[in-house]
Amino acid sequence: MGVPMIKIILNQIHAIRDQWSLSASGTFNEGVHLVSGDVGSGKSTLALMMAELLPWSGGDIEKEEITTIMLSLQFPELHLTGLSVAEECASWGVATDKILEAIGLTEKKEASPLSLSRGELKRLHLACVLAKDYDLLLLDEPFSSLDCEEKVKLCARIGQKSKGICVIFTHEQNILPRVSRIWEIVDGTLVDCGVPPEAFSHWSHVPPLIERLMALGSKPENISLDDLREAVCRIQG
Amino acid sequence: MQDPRIRIVAAAVLSLTAFMSLHGAAAVFLWWMVFTPRLQLAKRIRLVLSLIFMIAFFSLVLQLSGGEGLSYFTRMTVIVLIGIWIFSEQKSGEFLAMGVWLFGDRAGFELGMVAEMGMQSLVSFTADLDRIRMAEKIKGMQWEVRSIVPAGMVLVHGALVRAEDTAELLAVRGYQYGGTMCPTFFTRPLDLVAGMVALGILIFALIPVSEFFILYR
Repeated sequence: MGVPMIKIILNQIHAIRDQWSLSASGTFNEGVHLVSGDVGSGKSTLALMMAELLPWSGGDIEKEEITTIMLSLQFPELHLTGLSVAEECASWGVATDKILEAIGLTEKKEASPLSLSRGELKRLHLACVLAKDYDLLLLDEPFSSLDCEEKVKLCARIGQKSKGICVIFTHEQNILPRVSRIWEIVDGTLVDCGVPPEAFSHWSHVPPLIERLMALGSKPENISLDDLREAVCRIQG
Repeated sequence: MQDPRIRIVAAAVLSLTAFMSLHGAAAVFLWWMVFTPRLQLAKRIRLVLSLIFMIAFFSLVLQLSGGEGLSYFTRMTVIVLIGIWIFSEQKSGEFLAMGVWLFGDRAGFELGMVAEMGMQSLVSFTADLDRIRMAEKIKGMQWEVRSIVPAGMVLVHGALVRAEDTAELLAVRGYQYGGTMCPTFFTRPLDLVAGMVALGILIFALIPVSEFFILYR
């Protein structure tokens, strides 16, 4: 008997708001998925629907073997429930001292989380979210407010996840983790671009660097910085 | 209602009428039933229930302490219904157009812009509150009295940050005082009817009905 497959299936779900609409179909299997799209295309709405926090107008969502779900909202301050940094960490049920040490915020343990900069707050929030394993992890714009160094660290952290489904909703174009499937929202519809590197040829939000590398005849294997470096090295010989 | 001028005047007149007397509030409620989308409004704005609960609490206190709690509850609930109607009908830019139409390009523009910013804050405030409640659900927490302090801090902090951003943006663009605008309004015949009926209700509420009937006898 095989191991039960963890997956989430979107069966023509759609959301309608005044003149705006979004429809989505597809199966998200175990692994890291990237959902790209322009600002306002419906990435956050889709993330909320997948987390079953927002009702949809039609269709349905099937979840197989998914018992734990986590959604990281784009704006970390909206997650705050603690009045101090330590209290905020504790509200996530994670080891406070370990987390704060890892992100270099030990000295601000007693400070109000609202006194942190947006970048520090995002780091704190992501560290708490990624400290636990979830069957379905939805990350809405996880790279916003992070500098390049932190984005690289986040990619590495996501890459370390060995099980579960992780869906990244972002319009980040430069620093991304290695992914198993690429999706995009175009004209209000979720489109399955496929598995990289084949996905690049029908991905309308393909990052400019990947496009340039392909034009030079060196298609990267995936979208991570390591894959891009490898493709650059191939050109240089 | 398409014309914001009639809408705002009607809302002011109806609120005043509802506050003045119980029979005025009853007439305003009838107006709300006839000229607004009624329950769809209440469904769309979830703050309604909490507002009505809050009014009910104060009304009960008033009633128990010998005041006219029931009358207060009825009048205030009708005012809340008018409030949610005007809030849901309001479109971006209408306050600015109203301000300029009433008081011109300088003071009117300023007043209109302040009102627009206020409305924008209210919209952001409710959107943020929705997200905060979702975030609490994500953490497995339930919305309770304890949640008010951190949520309130986040909301106030967000409002201050947005105000600062707007102020910086205006300063960077060289904004000093007033602006130019040519407001245009679209008036449907039904808007005029609803406006006239609202004024009629005010007049009806101003008539001392009991004295009129005594004289008649």
